[in-house]
Amino acid sequence: MAALKDVSFDIPEKHICGFIGPNGAGKTTLFNVITGTFRPSGGRVKLRGRDVTGMSPSALVKRGMARTHQIVRPFKGMTVLENVQVAVHYGRRAVNRTAAAREHAMDTLQLVGLDHKANLLASALSLGEQKRLEVARALATAPELLLLDEICGGLTGAETRSMMDLLHRIRESGATLMYVEHEMKAIMSVCDRITVLNFGQKLAEGKPEEIQNDEAVIEAYLGKSSFRSTPRA
Amino acid sequence: MLLFGLLLLLPLTNPSANTVRLLLTTAVWIITSIGWNLLGGLTGQVSFGFAVFYGLGAYATALMINAGRSPYFAFLGGIAVAVLASFLVGLPTFRLRGPYFAIATIGVGEATRVIMNNLDITGGASGYRIVEHTPFRQLEHYYSAVIIAAIALAISALVFHSKFGLALRAIKQDQEAAADLGVNPYLSKLWVHAIAAGLTGVAGGLYARYHAFIYPGDVFAFQTSIYILLMPVIGGIGTVWGPVLGGVIFGMVEEELTVHFQNTHLLLYGLLLILIILFEPDGLVGLLRRLSKKLKSRRSREDSGSNDPEQILRRRGGVEGR
Repeated sequence: MAALKDVSFDIPEKHICGFIGPNGAGKTTLFNVITGTFRPSGGRVKLRGRDVTGMSPSALVKRGMARTHQIVRPFKGMTVLENVQVAVHYGRRAVNRTAAAREHAMDTLQLVGLDHKANLLASALSLGEQKRLEVARALATAPELLLLDEICGGLTGAETRSMMDLLHRIRESGATLMYVEHEMKAIMSVCDRITVLNFGQKLAEGKPEEIQNDEAVIEAYLGKSSFRSTPRA
Repeated sequence: MLLFGLLLLLPLTNPSANTVRLLLTTAVWIITSIGWNLLGGLTGQVSFGFAVFYGLGAYATALMINAGRSPYFAFLGGIAVAVLASFLVGLPTFRLRGPYFAIATIGVGEATRVIMNNLDITGGASGYRIVEHTPFRQLEHYYSAVIIAAIALAISALVFHSKFGLALRAIKQDQEAAADLGVNPYLSKLWVHAIAAGLTGVAGGLYARYHAFIYPGDVFAFQTSIYILLMPVIGGIGTVWGPVLGGVIFGMVEEELTVHFQNTHLLLYGLLLILIILFEPDGLVGLLRRLSKKLKSRRSREDSGSNDPEQILRRRGGVEGR
């Protein structure tokens, strides 16, 4: 059994590439292979042309790759600010001075709209806020490629909207993103290109409009019924 | 600072030799307690094998003193050997997680004791005597222990408030998440283990020099490992002052307990450990924090009268009875 088979793609600089697919399609596995959590039995991962296959997650962060987790993993016993501060200290820029790191962490919190909760324990945040903290931590490592794993999953409508605002802001700042999502509206509105996975294989690839009208995709992922009437798939 | 000053001035009051000895022993315990807390408290890696570093520090110091080195140089040797040993222990065991790491450290500790019991150059199980060719001055021993304890506390505070300390706290909470932010958990654990082992090693050296006789059944005993982890737990795991507080209390009562409850004192420690873990996992520091919070909230309630509905209810006697 292979969780992923012959999945090959490029993520051009300053592009937002979305990955969709039914449950078990291999989206999260793909993430784990790219970010060094799993070592692939075959295939290569290259970052800016350099082979980074099988590198440890911390080494990849230093080379400019950061990720968020589908199931949030905040450091619950630390403050929101400290959570982000770790990322500033140990991320790609490796800021040494505490004051500078805190300042940078504060800026990042402001970007995601959590600056007013900086000194609360991370455990005191709601799920929506914890998801934004997850994004803030990844952003604070100053990544060249940011991988987002279902950051809208489990959020309320209002929370999803504010997360999408954040995504557009990140996009405007010129980041390169790889984005896995179940929430169709979110992914269709921010991505430049979308890849569809099914049973660990690439099913389709193209612009959001093309994907929405792709017969095979509609059948595999959305079912026979029209996509527009059931946006939450 | 104040505490440290008092301890330095103490000999002016002409204390008995026994009081000085007790304080010295306490200072030595405090050093090990501070060391263990960096790995076990701050980083969350519970080790049952710190007697290894204590014993190796003691033996290395003893061997160097007998080879004619100055005792202070010998302390450095004790630190070096303990740090080296920490890498040997850490390299394989830090691949393990949580309880498996803890179990592995028990194995390492017992193996070391057995080896030392059979090592001929140190007299094996019958022990090793240290011969210094200078007159014995108890206060010199005392001062060196107190000063090293103060240095240990300073190092610990530095680590706690540094970038490194923040990473260690992150590792304690979620190792994978820390790695995803660029922290290298394996290396970080190796380094903090080395610092902790160095401190424990110098404590062993101080102990060896003062007693002038050491044997594996004492310095390498599993019991010693337990003592070393018990103190920070009593005082407050993962806090700067917890291990000091725990060390003071343990240092003061340990001998009395051993004398009066010769057969059951280990049982008492076990009970104490269970009680602390059940009711106040943050130890004495946690207890003190809770008390001061309670006092503060009571004072503010008396001062201004609070709008917190629960407190208003309580004042009316509505919640109190539950």
